[in-house]
Amino acid sequence: MPIFKTPFNGYSVKFSPFYESRLAVATAQNFGILGNGRVHVLALPPSPSLPLSELVAFDTADGVYDLAWSESHDSLLVAAVADGSVKLFDTALPPTQNPLRSLQEHTREVHSVDYNPTRRDSFITSSWDDTIKLWTLDRPASIRTFKEHAYCVYSAAWNPRHTDVFASASGDCTVRIWDVREPGSTMIIPGHDFEILSCDWNKYDDCLIATASVDKSIRVWDVRSYRAPIAVLNGHGYAVRKVKFSPHHRNLMVSCSYDMTVCMWDFMVEDALVGRYDHHTEFAVGLDMSVLVEGLLASTGWDELVYVWQHGTDPRAS
Amino acid sequence: MATPSSPPPSSPPDEKPQNLASELAQPTNEIQQHAREEAPKQSSPSVFVNSEPMREEQVQNAVKFLSHPKVRGSPVMYRRSFLERKGLTKEEIDEAFRRVPDPPPSTQATGTNQEAQVISTSNVQPPAQTQALQPAAAAPTGAISSAGTLMRFRFHWYHIVFAVGLLAASGAGTTVLIKNAIIPRLKSWIRKVILEEEEEEKEDPVKKANAKPSLAEEAAAAAKAAAAAAADVAKASQEMLNSKSEERRHFKEFMNLLDVQVQEMKSMSTAIRKLEGQTNNLGRTSLVDQEDYTPSVANHPKQTYVNGKAESDSRSVRSLSAPASAEPSVAPHPKSYMEIMAMVQRGERPANIRDINDQPPNPNQQISNTRLAPKSKPWEASKSLNNSSQALQSQVNGEDLNSKVQDNGVTYQFDGESAIPWWQRKNARITEIENEDELKDGHYGARTNEQPIQRTWVPPQPPPVAMPEAVEAIRRPKSSVQKEQLAEDQSVSHSTDVTDELQRITKISESGGAVEVNGGGLEPNSIEIKEVQEHSSEEN
Repeated sequence: MPIFKTPFNGYSVKFSPFYESRLAVATAQNFGILGNGRVHVLALPPSPSLPLSELVAFDTADGVYDLAWSESHDSLLVAAVADGSVKLFDTALPPTQNPLRSLQEHTREVHSVDYNPTRRDSFITSSWDDTIKLWTLDRPASIRTFKEHAYCVYSAAWNPRHTDVFASASGDCTVRIWDVREPGSTMIIPGHDFEILSCDWNKYDDCLIATASVDKSIRVWDVRSYRAPIAVLNGHGYAVRKVKFSPHHRNLMVSCSYDMTVCMWDFMVEDALVGRYDHHTEFAVGLDMSVLVEGLLASTGWDELVYVWQHGTDPRAS
Repeated sequence: MATPSSPPPSSPPDEKPQNLASELAQPTNEIQQHAREEAPKQSSPSVFVNSEPMREEQVQNAVKFLSHPKVRGSPVMYRRSFLERKGLTKEEIDEAFRRVPDPPPSTQATGTNQEAQVISTSNVQPPAQTQALQPAAAAPTGAISSAGTLMRFRFHWYHIVFAVGLLAASGAGTTVLIKNAIIPRLKSWIRKVILEEEEEEKEDPVKKANAKPSLAEEAAAAAKAAAAAAADVAKASQEMLNSKSEERRHFKEFMNLLDVQVQEMKSMSTAIRKLEGQTNNLGRTSLVDQEDYTPSVANHPKQTYVNGKAESDSRSVRSLSAPASAEPSVAPHPKSYMEIMAMVQRGERPANIRDINDQPPNPNQQISNTRLAPKSKPWEASKSLNNSSQALQSQVNGEDLNSKVQDNGVTYQFDGESAIPWWQRKNARITEIENEDELKDGHYGARTNEQPIQRTWVPPQPPPVAMPEAVEAIRRPKSSVQKEQLAEDQSVSHSTDVTDELQRITKISESGGAVEVNGGGLEPNSIEIKEVQEHSSEEN
């Protein structure tokens, strides 16, 4: 399976929603503690024994923690940077003409960015300054700021069916559901007893949301009865960094963790762990499932490697 | 552009709500009891809203919590956050805040709050607050009382009990001392005097008999008085000693507290300095600040494919056993990470950082038009079982293959006439899973899952093989290749039955799939996948 060696530590990987064979990787130097950052745009090779090829790369002054492809424009990419800025890149233009925009509003590191998959015109960024901001590409300033969390907001995710609803996961151990038409959060789910690092909506059931936490577990919640989770998935050895529902199957989800593994789960089954990949040699931090290609997974981690493989195959095989 | 009302989190504020929770036994227990209540659901236009009615019990518990003096001193944000984590809805929290009589003082500095927490968590003698009991400790009490008004309430009656006990103990001690030491000496002295009197009595019986007894009496009385005075003095001196030692102890405590505060202020000032100059390092470790860094031993060598990374850092073995407790255990960080953290916290800047200007060269640059129309998502299209058909729907159009944009000239060539690239899923394993899933709906209920089993994809049902002979017939044309596979198969036949089954099944489906599309063309790929399966099954 093809891999790519990044010069900096990997933080996030995302498949392009337009091109099957394209993906982008966000990296940060010195584990993201202090240093530069780089965004790589990679292409899958014609044969799995070849490495991924780099189409273009963009350098940033500070580490890039996350990125999101635009859903409306095939070559635009939004990057969440550790210096609090949100940068817009056009992968069709050379690095000297990039970035197109640099939006500096967050006062702390921007930890995640998510593009609205249904409306396709807006995106949200979440930051360690406890806020979430809503933006559109054509405006130079944020449209709204959502400030309710008591600690860093690690992740924010749009609901795939309801265009105005999104969820946020925070270090204050709660998940909040928001509606951009409402002034404040509409639901508060005290999901875990420890920091919640990631959340994602189920693509086929708009009321299910999964949360991943420092307590090593992943919990699946139904927002209609959120007092108790529908499923608790244990199996990771350390904090779970990212969770993502499959775009093709209602019950499947993948997660990556500080225990260096990527796991696939079926939360409707008694024995939920369906697959486990231990190809990384450092914290596995970034993870994505392709929307265009069923079963295609990509992961990256602090070991500076990016893997792309089909579920069921060995990522390290060639 | 954040509003300035948020308090600067100099240390993980998670500690604070948790500390508050540990102090308040009564209200939190009650809250926790009710936190698991199932609330009735009502239909509402939006599903993403709390449609439960306000729970009066929760509100009352929250009011009790908010009225507690300890809680009064904490910032409003933490109180809200605590209640949210206990499962109260926004309305319930707002109602509780409305009901609490005094508006809580929001000017309480987080520094004093932290100090109060430090004191409360350490089991040290309470510093003297009320001056009626400890007149000698006036000076340190004055200083300490300024450190936290909360402490006075907390330790008031404890302190009284303790002081009374102390006095009683000292009184008892002195009386015991006097009984054992001084009185025998007095008695013996008195006896001696009386003996001398008796001797003198023999010489001058009359006068001296009168005088001596009275003298003796007087002497005895004087002695008693002296003894009493001495006892008093002893008592007083004991008290003085005790109070002095207590004073010393208080003073030491006070010094420790000051040290702690100084440390915190130092760290805050360094944080501020760093904030001003560079990006904030301390904040970035918020994820990992909760975990301690323990040194660990590496004994899990892994293959790396790209370069042999010499800096195979020390880390512990991944434990595959079920994590019983939900406590966040230490995630062992790589050694180079620790080195960089240490360097940065000392204020040094790692050498490999470049000065990069990442500002937009043309901030008003027009955003070009997209070249492709947005694609519909798989969940938006059909909700049918057969999602794999969508996946196989070949989106390999010209634009994908010959990406106009930043193409490095890679054109995709496939073996055989099939236009499906290697990364597309080839077989119908997923549909089997889906059939299974549809049958299994209604399996709701919290299901905790333990014991991660290291295995790759296991299809739940074998594909329907109508005619095993047909399978053999299919296999035979590729006998040269399949023999290899069979041989390997036999070599791993020692492994579990499940994996045997798995391999046979997947081989069947693989060969079946290959035959359907293109036997020769996809063969190399299917072989690779099979080999991978072998490899992974061997790993089990």
